[in-house]
Amino acid sequence: MSDKLQDIINKQQDQIAPGEENLDNVVQLVGFIIGEEEFSVPILSIQEIIKPIEWTRVPRTPGYVLGVFNLRGTVIPLIDLRLKFGLPSEKMTENSRFIVMKNETETAGFVIDRLTEAIRLKKSEIGSAPETAMQEKTMIDGVGKQDDKILTILKVDKLLERDF
Amino acid sequence: MDEFQEILQDFLIESFELIEQLDQDLVELENTPEDLDLLNRIFRVAHTVKGASSFLNFDVLTHLTHHMEDVLNKARHGELLIDAAIMDVVLESIDLMKSLLHTIRDTSKDDGIEVEACVIRLTAITNGENPSDAAVSEAAAVIEPEPVVEEAEAEDELDYANMSDDDVDAEIQRLLEERQAADKAKREAKIAAGEDVPNMPEAEAQEPKAEEIPVEEPAAAAPPPPPPPAAPVANAAAPKAEKKATPAPVATTVEQTIRVDVKRLDHLMNLIGELVLGKNRLIKINDDVEERYEGEEFLEELNQVVSIVSLVTTDLQIAVMKTRMLPIGKVFNKFPRMIRDLSRELGKKIELEISGEETELDKSIVEEIGDPLVHIIRNSCDHGVESIERRIESGKPETGIIGLKAYNEGNHIVIQITDDGAGMDPDRLKMIAIDKGVITEKEADIMGDKEAFGLIFRPGFSTAAAVTNVSGRGVGMDVVKTNIEKLNGIIDIESELGKGTVMKLKIPLTLAIIQALLVGVQEEYYAIPLASVLETVRIGKEEIYTVENRSVMRLRDEVLSLVHIADIFEVEHVFDTSEHAYVVVLGLAETKIGLIVDSLVGQEEIVIKSMGEYLQGMEGIAGATIRGDGGVTLIVDVAALMSMAKTIKSSVSSENSSGSGASREKTQPSDYKVMIIDDSKTDRKIMSLALKPLGITLVEATDGVEALNILKSGEHQFDALLIDIEMPRMDGYTLASEIKKYNKYKNLPLIAVTSRTGKADRMRGVESGMVEYITKPYSPDYLQNVVKRNIKFSFSEESA
Repeated sequence: MSDKLQDIINKQQDQIAPGEENLDNVVQLVGFIIGEEEFSVPILSIQEIIKPIEWTRVPRTPGYVLGVFNLRGTVIPLIDLRLKFGLPSEKMTENSRFIVMKNETETAGFVIDRLTEAIRLKKSEIGSAPETAMQEKTMIDGVGKQDDKILTILKVDKLLERDF
Repeated sequence: MDEFQEILQDFLIESFELIEQLDQDLVELENTPEDLDLLNRIFRVAHTVKGASSFLNFDVLTHLTHHMEDVLNKARHGELLIDAAIMDVVLESIDLMKSLLHTIRDTSKDDGIEVEACVIRLTAITNGENPSDAAVSEAAAVIEPEPVVEEAEAEDELDYANMSDDDVDAEIQRLLEERQAADKAKREAKIAAGEDVPNMPEAEAQEPKAEEIPVEEPAAAAPPPPPPPAAPVANAAAPKAEKKATPAPVATTVEQTIRVDVKRLDHLMNLIGELVLGKNRLIKINDDVEERYEGEEFLEELNQVVSIVSLVTTDLQIAVMKTRMLPIGKVFNKFPRMIRDLSRELGKKIELEISGEETELDKSIVEEIGDPLVHIIRNSCDHGVESIERRIESGKPETGIIGLKAYNEGNHIVIQITDDGAGMDPDRLKMIAIDKGVITEKEADIMGDKEAFGLIFRPGFSTAAAVTNVSGRGVGMDVVKTNIEKLNGIIDIESELGKGTVMKLKIPLTLAIIQALLVGVQEEYYAIPLASVLETVRIGKEEIYTVENRSVMRLRDEVLSLVHIADIFEVEHVFDTSEHAYVVVLGLAETKIGLIVDSLVGQEEIVIKSMGEYLQGMEGIAGATIRGDGGVTLIVDVAALMSMAKTIKSSVSSENSSGSGASREKTQPSDYKVMIIDDSKTDRKIMSLALKPLGITLVEATDGVEALNILKSGEHQFDALLIDIEMPRMDGYTLASEIKKYNKYKNLPLIAVTSRTGKADRMRGVESGMVEYITKPYSPDYLQNVVKRNIKFSFSEESA
């Protein structure tokens, strides 16, 4: 009897152990498309993803700040990532979503063209951001290689930073 | 350590509370130096602070208060008459005590402040004023019974509430005996010193009465030590027996209170805010449901619930607001002292009359209102009240009177500061303002008296010839303005030359939940705090004048500058052709402005929500609120709007000259955009070719539905539309009337291009909002001319 029990416990530990190891080395990301390119942000920085709802324009802001919207009683800024990345504005479609991202201090909604999938990437598969002249200002955290495509991982803190 | 901190906290709270009352008492004392009640109260403060600080090892503070106590003790025993010179020293020592307490609060230490000089002066008073002969022994004799008195005081603070009636009686008896013994000893000492002690029996007879009152008050054990139970004792030593019959009423009004952390109240207020939003939402839904299920039975029940919820919410909100209310007396208390100091400094005689100090205000506002009042009162003392000679010359009483009065008026509290001084001369103010470059001469010309009075709030403006300690830097009144603006308050000045000035500060009772006026501009809505709205008027367009590139209107006997809300908030607007405009007259601090809006929606209770750090501090926006329908409406920051209005070039008046609906500057032909709507590809081609030489941008649509969608998407700003009448899905007439439903397209020229030539067809075209009617076939030149005329094309073809 006690042998059996021990067996089960051992088995359970075996099951848990590899998972833990994985968690340390794996980053979970949510991928989405803006324009032609696929981007992603860590799943833990996402509060929720909602379908587009009505928003109110806030005057005297840069074009990419669409305004504010009501997320169950909280007023949250809405930012169009197309415009933020310098792409031409496009009408929202069936596939458009608001991704609500947050860090310790700030929460904001971001308009994206469409979602792709949740992605698990091993840390070893993520390369550093390409060197640019403005290392300080870059919004890119790293570049993930997956099968045959390349995935840009964005810095959420940078996205949530007011830059006007 | 924690325990020490806790004691320290209690000590500080108690001390600050005591001190608050102190200033006023001291000034009063100077007028009635023999008022023993007052003296005792003051003495007690010094004594309490001394006791606690020695326990907490604040040596400097103990040292100082000990010497203060000495002086005050002498005074209350009638050995020292407090005159202005002594009072100066006493006040100085009180100030030192305050700063020591502040230091303790900030650093938990009481070093860093030099008190020795003051202590020496205090000692000098204690010694110097003593008669050299019998007094020494007298003083000794008088001070000797002191411990007894204090012991009795300590016993006074027994918990009477827990005693049975018999016990209380016994206690009274015991105390009486104690007192009488003490009195006797004292009297004997006095007699020994050769003093006349009048009214003895009477004083004794009065004692029980005076004693009973504090005993009967069960709350006497509450933290603020009940003022003068020792009064009878002291009174016996002073020739003011009649005062005794009315023991300080303060002791009897001690209320049952509980200390609550302000954070908790703030949190409660936030929750109420959410509730108010929920209530608004509920009311809106109730209205919708009513419309849809008219006559159904459950409606009545729903109605009842909704009205109860909304009623209770309102009551709850008021109740919570009240918990945050403080009497404005807390602020007023410091002014008697200030007036005293100022009148000595300025060599004027000024009296302060305070009324309405029990009027209550939200705590956050009470904290903000102090500074502006200080500046206003300083200003009244310095510029308002004249010097004694001047006052006598003009036949006024020597003593100038400054009145400070608070009262409620609707959802506002009004603080009124009056003086019977020289009053203000609007013409002189204007002259000075021009001299100092604050305004131009032209501005001065159109200024009314009230606006001229408002000049004193401009930064850099001062009428004082020289900078003095009190005023002349042109800063103070600017502070007043900024602080009052922060509170969404209004300043109103009335002044009569030679008679005096009345300044009214009108401040909303609370800041978190406010009444707002909702206004519309195009398809957007904005909420304006109702506190800043003076009135709304509907005026004809012809009532708008232009002065120095600014739009103004005449409102009764005032000139009001105007600004369109669309210019402030960059709303792309088209001037509608209607004859009328709605003007919301905004007042803040001392300025007024007229804000032109497209529509007035109504009044609503709103809760101010932050827009997060990302959008914080956007100019002109004070925050956002969530409306009953779940949408977000932005709240106008009236103060910012007013300063923005100064720099924004108004389009209100230029409307007639430029006329066109397009609001963007056109710098090249391709900035003009025209949409061609026709189901036939050939026709579209013909039109495009005809218009090509103009160099304008063309967009094509194949039917009404598509055209409408393009228009709604807002991607393009069209200057004109060319519409075919015969089209599948949606014909030209329907399209035109759909477009005209939008406010912002009211002025968009719609040109019909059609083969229908009947008179009835033309009529229908006009009815649906077409401005021109071109019949096919047409010459390219004709089409060009019509389009050019309608889009107000300002480039010659050569340049295109």
